[in-house]
Amino acid sequence: MTALLEVSGLYKSFTISGSRALVQAVNGVSFAIQPGETLGLVGESGSGKTTVGRCILGLLDATDGSIRFRGQDITLGGRRSKSRGKMQLVFQEPAESLDPRQRIGRSIEEPLVALKFASNERQDRLLESIGLVGLSEDMLNLYPAELSAGQQQRVGIARAMITRPELVVLDEPTSALDPTARAEIIELLQRIQGELGTSYLFISHDLSTVRFVSHRVAVMYLGMIVEQGDAAKVFAQPVHPYSVGLLSAVLLPNPKLKYETAINLQGEIPSPINLPKGCFLASRCPLVLQRCRDEMPPPENLGGGHIVHCFRHQEVAALDPTTDTFTRFQEEAKRILGVFPVEPQLDSAAAQSEN
Amino acid sequence: MQVVAEHAARPDATEPLLAVRNLRVEFPTALGDSRVVLRGISFSLLPGEIVGLVGESGAGKTTLARSLLGLPPVPGRITAGEVLFRGTDLRALPERDLRRMRGKDLSMVVPNPRGELNPLLTVGEQIAVVAQVHLGISRKKAREKALDMLKAVQIPDPRRRFDAYAHQLSGGMAQRVVIAMALVCSPSLVISDDATSGLDVTVQSQILDLIRALAEKQRSAMLFITRDVGITAHFCDRVAVIYAGQIMEVAPRHAFFFEPSHPYTIMLLAAFSHSPELRHRWTVPDVKRRTVEGAAGCSYADRCPLAQERCRTVEPPLAQLGPGHFSKCHFPVVR
Repeated sequence: MTALLEVSGLYKSFTISGSRALVQAVNGVSFAIQPGETLGLVGESGSGKTTVGRCILGLLDATDGSIRFRGQDITLGGRRSKSRGKMQLVFQEPAESLDPRQRIGRSIEEPLVALKFASNERQDRLLESIGLVGLSEDMLNLYPAELSAGQQQRVGIARAMITRPELVVLDEPTSALDPTARAEIIELLQRIQGELGTSYLFISHDLSTVRFVSHRVAVMYLGMIVEQGDAAKVFAQPVHPYSVGLLSAVLLPNPKLKYETAINLQGEIPSPINLPKGCFLASRCPLVLQRCRDEMPPPENLGGGHIVHCFRHQEVAALDPTTDTFTRFQEEAKRILGVFPVEPQLDSAAAQSEN
Repeated sequence: MQVVAEHAARPDATEPLLAVRNLRVEFPTALGDSRVVLRGISFSLLPGEIVGLVGESGAGKTTLARSLLGLPPVPGRITAGEVLFRGTDLRALPERDLRRMRGKDLSMVVPNPRGELNPLLTVGEQIAVVAQVHLGISRKKAREKALDMLKAVQIPDPRRRFDAYAHQLSGGMAQRVVIAMALVCSPSLVISDDATSGLDVTVQSQILDLIRALAEKQRSAMLFITRDVGITAHFCDRVAVIYAGQIMEVAPRHAFFFEPSHPYTIMLLAAFSHSPELRHRWTVPDVKRRTVEGAAGCSYADRCPLAQERCRTVEPPLAQLGPGHFSKCHFPVVR
């Protein structure tokens, strides 16, 4: 199977005005996304997640490396027209990514205006798209401020889906939402993927959401993917110290389920100006060796597409118990919530509240 | 709610440090009437206790935090209730006295630290000023104290950071500065409003450990406001849930997570678990939140999967279910 998107050796640096220093935001990122697959891209702020997404969409020009979409090279700006409309973006802040003075119907069909679709065809696609995300036709004349945050994000998704994209870059699509709205949006995205086979690049720092939606996951640190592989596998048994540290810092809503780990990362992500010579995590890693400070660990393939950049990954794997906190929590939540004597009467309650 | 009952799980409970009684905050609207944002909030905090307050955006969390300091967000007004701090009603005090207490006895850790710090003063200077004004110490002593605080919040290279400006710091570092500023006078009550939401998880856990250690050392009580139920499971002694300006459930941590009784609390926990089947059982999708003021019944009735006729007509009381465990529901889920 050929990958829908193939990124190899992607670099992106930014110049700082009035200085010769470079901000090295993305440093040799390689990954692929298969049709119908969700790749979760996780990392702390400043790790370059959004920059990768923007390079793929052609909103930024890559400094080096290649991006291939359906086998075609789309790295350079001029060739991007071939992928226009086939890749789309959903933003983090639904309220801020919609024009407050434009009715939402108009906002949703705007990508088709840019692609020079005829008016009647735009109307058909508009109805198809709002049907897909579960908005009703009478809402098209509303302004964004009249919608809840969850509905606004549905509008953002409808706007992305109207061009029938094969790949959607979701840049923190649920971070600004409350838990209920977040769960609705996640479910919607999964349903769309099930119906249309759309591929997602799901960028987020919310690890539990990433675990839930992703088939594969890539962990970014300082512009590098330090570990990538099957989501269930990486979350159950991370082999890079940074992945372990990131996962152990997640606080699950259960006082008994604290992820126990021997790896406790201290300090913060270093500046992407003047990158360290060796492994980027060397300054924070409790397992650091002199070798880590001197040279960058090469990528190692552990089989099944599980790739890690760490000299001591075997020790990391041995050191951490094989327990998937997220799975454990899910089971615990079921236990707690599953034994209530009262069965909620969902339908009647929903029907009454509509009156 | 009786203080004694609220702290039933703590037999050693002494006088509460802070007792809020029936606090009501209203915002005038353009139409001439007013919108009630806090509708009779009551709770209390013991010395050294950390109480988590969780709720969705718009529930009134920030309004509550700021109203406790006597600074409700403009144009909101406190229209009823008492805020008793060591037995004194802060609402009855003149502004001059309140000003002396803010930052010294009561302090606040704000979200978005880089936006709240003064861009024209070095961060060390800003911390020092708080100490100088409130503790009446010399400028030199205050600067020493500020440096000590920067060390205490584990800012790397504190001597150099002392002279840094807010824009030169990372988000995590600016958050530490704001915490240092809030704790420099060893306040007995700290209100933390979404203090860690902008931080990454690895930094967040460091900051939480830090706040907890400093609070314990100074025996400060803390009201820890957050949208993240996960944090409260590991960080707070008790947890309260706020919805539409009312406390729906308050319980000691263990009871809150293992015997949640209010459908809204259960929904919050279920939403976190990412289990669609659980979520469907506990949420009513796409219902516009009730905004009509004065509507009868429970404010959660429109979204509640367990709601019955009585819920739409009679407002439930905040009733006791167990030691320190209260739930504002006619049909609390009890096992």
